[in-house]
Amino acid sequence: MSAEQESRTSSQGAVGMLREVGRKLAQGEAGPLLVLLMVGAIWTFFQLQNDRFLSAGNLTNLMLQQAAVATISIGVVLILLLGEIDLSVGAVSGLCASVMAVLVVQQGMPPVLAVLVALGLGAVIGLFNGVMITRFQIPSFVVTLAGSLAWVGFQLLVLGQTGTINLSDKFIIGLTYTYFPPAMGWAVAALAIALTLGLALVARKRRGAAGLSVSSIQGLAFRTAVVGAAFIALIIVVNQDRGLPMVVFIVFVLALAFAYLTERTRFGRHMFAVGGNAEAARRAGIKIDHVRILVFMLGSTLASAGGILAASRLMAVNQSSGSSDLLLMAIAGPVIAGTSLFGGRGTVWSALLGAVVIGSIANGMNLLAFASSVKFIVTGAVLITAVTIEAMTRMRRQGEQRV
Amino acid sequence: MRGRKVAVWFAATALFVGIAVVLTGCGGSTATTGTDTGSTAAKPLKIALLLPETKTARYETQDKPLFEAKVKELAPDAEILYSNANQDATEQQSQADAALTNGANVLVLDPVDSASAASIVAKAAAQKVPVISYDRLILNAEVDYYVSFDNEKVGTLQGQALLDKLTADGNAGKTIVMINGSPTDNNATLFKKGAHSILDGKVKIGAEYDTPDWSPDKAQTEMDQAITKLGKNGFVGVLAANDGTGGGAIAAMKGAGIDPTTRPTTGQDAELAAIQRILLGEQYMTVYKAIKLEAEAAAELAVSLAKGEAVPSSMQLSAVNNGTKDVDSVLLAPVAVMKDNIKDTVVADGFWTAAQIMTSPELETAGAAVGLQ
Repeated sequence: MSAEQESRTSSQGAVGMLREVGRKLAQGEAGPLLVLLMVGAIWTFFQLQNDRFLSAGNLTNLMLQQAAVATISIGVVLILLLGEIDLSVGAVSGLCASVMAVLVVQQGMPPVLAVLVALGLGAVIGLFNGVMITRFQIPSFVVTLAGSLAWVGFQLLVLGQTGTINLSDKFIIGLTYTYFPPAMGWAVAALAIALTLGLALVARKRRGAAGLSVSSIQGLAFRTAVVGAAFIALIIVVNQDRGLPMVVFIVFVLALAFAYLTERTRFGRHMFAVGGNAEAARRAGIKIDHVRILVFMLGSTLASAGGILAASRLMAVNQSSGSSDLLLMAIAGPVIAGTSLFGGRGTVWSALLGAVVIGSIANGMNLLAFASSVKFIVTGAVLITAVTIEAMTRMRRQGEQRV
Repeated sequence: MRGRKVAVWFAATALFVGIAVVLTGCGGSTATTGTDTGSTAAKPLKIALLLPETKTARYETQDKPLFEAKVKELAPDAEILYSNANQDATEQQSQADAALTNGANVLVLDPVDSASAASIVAKAAAQKVPVISYDRLILNAEVDYYVSFDNEKVGTLQGQALLDKLTADGNAGKTIVMINGSPTDNNATLFKKGAHSILDGKVKIGAEYDTPDWSPDKAQTEMDQAITKLGKNGFVGVLAANDGTGGGAIAAMKGAGIDPTTRPTTGQDAELAAIQRILLGEQYMTVYKAIKLEAEAAAELAVSLAKGEAVPSSMQLSAVNNGTKDVDSVLLAPVAVMKDNIKDTVVADGFWTAAQIMTSPELETAGAAVGLQ
C-alpha cells in the first residue's frame, strides 16, 4: 500500500515517470515495458545479422504479415479478460473468409455486402458460443473446441471441390494493399495524437469532477509525447516505403475502438468485474450473462475480420485458411504481452504488441532463411519463456495480495 | 485459495490439451458404401480404401469417387469399405483394424504416416490380406504393390520447366528463390531432390525455405522475406513446390509491387486457382497428376488381388525399394501444364471444365486465346 501512495505523490513529470518505471520493473508489473525491451533485443539481434531487417520495406512487411493475427488477438483479449477462452477463433476466421470468397467469386455478390455477411456470420457464431456457455453452463473451451471442428467442416463444405479460390476483387485486395499517400499518413497521425490527448483530458476532467486523484499535467504531456513519437516514427517509416497500408490503419482503428470500450466505458468496467470475480459482479447487479454473450460475439466477429484481412493479404482462400498455428499465435501474442490467461487483467494493446513480438521472430528467421528445425525450436522456446515470465509475475502479484 | 489454484491449473492443462488436439486435428470418419446386391456369389468382394485426410480437396472429390466407379465397373457386386483418417495416424490404425474385422479382401492404403503404417501392413499380412500402398509409399514393410506418381519426376519437371524458361529469357545462371513443401512430408523431400538435381549449378539459389504444413500463408511470408533479402530485382524466378505455396509467393510479389508475369513461378496439383493464374500469366506452370489414372490403376489392381487373380498384363510394373523389399510398383508419369496445353490436359480429361476456369471477363479473354470455350 505504502509503495502505491509513495508513487502517487512522486509521479511528477518525467522524473516521476522514470521512477515509477523502475518500481514497476522491480515488482514485475511492467508487462508492456518488458515486452518493448524484448522487441528491442529481437530487433537488434536480427539487424546485426542482416541490415535489411530494420529497413522501411521490411517493417512494412512485418505489419502486413501480422495484421490478421493482431485483429484476431484483439478479440481473444476481450475473451481472456472475462477469464474465458475461445479455441474456435482460427476456424471461425477460415470459415468466414471462405464464405466471403464464395459469395463474391461464385455468387457475384457485391464485395462490401459479402464482407458484412461474413462479419455477421462471425457474430452469429459468437452468439451461439455465448448462449451455450451461459444458458447451459458448459465451459467455454469445450464449446469452442467442439465448435471449431464443426466450423472447419463447414469451411470444407463451402469451398467444395475447387479448393483454393483466387480473390481479384479490388475492394477486398485493397483492404490490405491500399497505400495512403504521405500527406494522408501525416493527417492520420495528427488525428491519432489529437484523439489520444483529447480522451486523456476528458478522462482527467471526469476523474477530477468525481473527486478522484488525477495525474499531473506534466505526466500527461510526457505520455502524449511518447504516444505521439511512436505514431510519428510509424509514419516516417511507412512513408519511406509504400506509404501507410490500409490494413495497418484498420488494425489501429479497431485497437483504439476496443481500447476505448474496455478502459473508458461502463461495459468495459463490467467486463473487468466479471473477469475479476464473476460472483461479486453478479451481486453488484451486473448482468453477467449479457456481458459474456456480447463479448463472445465481439470475439468471433473480430476473428471473422481477421480472416477477411488474411484472405485479402493472400489474395485467396483455401482449405487451410485459418488452420496451422494461427490459433496458437493469436492466443500466445496477448499473453506474451501481459494479458492474463485467467481473466481480469490485460489490455487491447497487448494484442498488437504480442503480434509484433511473434511476427518479428518469424520475419527475422525467414529473412535469414533458417532451417525449419531451428524455426520451430526458437518459436517454441520464446512462447514458453514468455508464458513463464507471465506466470512468475502473477505469482509475485498473488504473494503481495495485489491480484 | 487452494481450490482456485487447482482449478486454474486444470483450466491451463485443458487449454493446452485443447490446442494440441485442434492443431493435430482429431476425429475421423468411417463410411461404408456399395450395393448389397444379394447375388448368388458365395462371398462378395470387400475392398477397403483408407485415405489420409480431408484438407486437400483431391481425396474426397477425386480419389474416392473415381476409385469407386472403376471398382463398380470391374466388379459390380463388390463392397467398398471407405475410411478417412483426417490426418491422424492412430485413427488410421483403428480404421484399418475395422476394415480387417469386416473381412476386407484387400487394403488400399494411403498412409497418414509412411513409417508407422508398417504395423497395419504386418496385421494385414498375418490375415493374408494383401496391401496396396496408394499414392504414398509405406516404408519398411512387406507391401504387395505400390501405385503412385513418380514423385522425384515431379521435381525434375518443375526444375526443367523453370530452367528452360529462364534460359529462353536469357536469365540462366541468375538467382532464384526455392519454396519447398512441408519438412515432415516424404513426398516433399522427393520433389525438392528432383528440383535440385536439375537446378544445382545452373542457377543460384538466393533463399530456400521448407514450408510447414504446405501453408500458403507461410509461403507468402517466406517470399516477402526472400524479396527483402535479395531486393525486388534480385531474383528472376521462383521454384514453388505446389500451387498453394506458389500462390502465396505470387501474392507476395504482387504485394511488393513486382509484376508476377515477369518472374516465372512453378507449381503442382493443377488446382483451379493455379490454372486461372497460368491463364493470366501470373504463374508459369503447374504439374498435373491425372488422379483418374492413379485411382483407376489402384482399383484394377485391388479387384484382381481380391479375386485372387494375376495382375492385369496391361500394367507395367517397376520396382521401388521401401527399405524392406523392392515393391512391384505402378508409377504414372506427371505432366507439366502451361498456358498452351491447358486445353489438351486438364480440360480434355474433364479435371476442370472451361466454364469452371473462366469466371471473369479477363479469364474469358485469356481462355479464348488458348482455345478454351
